Amino acid sequence: MPFVIAIVVIAIVAAVVIMARGHRRPRQDEGMQSFRRHIDALSPEARREVIDRARKHDEDRN
Amino acid sequence: MARDLAIDLGTANTLVYMKGKGIVLNEPSVIALNRQTGEVLATGREAWQMIGRTPGYIVAVRPLRGGAITDFEITERMIRLLLQRVGVSRFTRPKVVICVPSAITEVERRAVTDAARRAGAADAQLIEQPMAAAIGADLPIDEPVGNMVIDIGGGTSETAVISLGGIVALEAVRVGSFDIDAAIQSYVRREHGIAVGERTAEEVKVAIGSAEPMEHENQAEVRGRDLMTGLPKTVILTPEEIRFAIDDVVSSIIASVVRCLAKAPPELAQDFLVRGMFLVGGGGLLHGLAQRIERETQVPVKMSNVPLEAVVLGAGHCIEHYDALKSMFMGARR
Repeated sequence: MPFVIAIVVIAIVAAVVIMARGHRRPRQDEGMQSFRRHIDALSPEARREVIDRARKHDEDRN
Repeated sequence: MARDLAIDLGTANTLVYMKGKGIVLNEPSVIALNRQTGEVLATGREAWQMIGRTPGYIVAVRPLRGGAITDFEITERMIRLLLQRVGVSRFTRPKVVICVPSAITEVERRAVTDAARRAGAADAQLIEQPMAAAIGADLPIDEPVGNMVIDIGGGTSETAVISLGGIVALEAVRVGSFDIDAAIQSYVRREHGIAVGERTAEEVKVAIGSAEPMEHENQAEVRGRDLMTGLPKTVILTPEEIRFAIDDVVSSIIASVVRCLAKAPPELAQDFLVRGMFLVGGGGLLHGLAQRIERETQVPVKMSNVPLEAVVLGAGHCIEHYDALKSMFMGARR
């Protein structure tokens, strides 16, 4: 019996957490942060690794 | 654990980039099948060598035309074999980013993603070729300046204006370097009365084809089948003849570049005069094409350092930074 009650309690807590996350209001700066991450990922520094890898591939081929 | 992949599924060539490793495969998009049993006999370079030289029971085909899948089943088998060759099995299901022409329809998009998923991908996302090309060509697309990229592939030519990580203006035509080969084939048939294969036409294009008169031009000797007698025959082709033969195709590509320039906002348009436009894709390697575009648009044209690999490198960068860049995928913006 206590085992069943524990499972029910866990299920209710999980449902409440999921619902709370679903209704969470986005933070005001979330859009800004996401856009910043997007732009940073396109910066020349972020792309350097892929470009260097391509250069190495080119050198190996030649 | 499977390494995630980026695939440039081109009409002419297919390139695969593996996360953390770089380009692991670069082969023609060709598959050879046994017509009677449906068995795959060869793919990639081996199948490409068979084009136009097969006995009746073998057919060597390009399953993509104009950037679109013309035969869904064959494309799926080709993708499955490509993924197997780079180590994907039923137990290792990677995330895959596939580069596609921006002008593809909803049905074609679904065909590509379904083919990749059925071939073993856990998740398949699409990215527009000019966007991937701009990333791979190392253009400063993270800045608020106008970057213009012209991607001339086997079946499509796309021009895009990109600023702050997004496409501002786009123009695409389903015309590419295969149409240049076809124009050469039909010219030789019409004017010289001989039939030549698509590989011969491509060789002529590479040897003496140009969009503008060049210094030190040579003639080319071409062998084919005489349409009147059926016997083998040799003719001499001049660069002027080839320029005339391919002029309609080249003009339609340049017209799409001009339309894209006209769509660009004036603030970005002025950047092109200083920074120029960047040419990528195998079709961009046609002699004199950069000069001809420059002459007709009055905007400097620069060739990318990695014209053939720019698209897959851009998609590879998206695989390396998947979470930060997933908003760039085609489904994410709809």
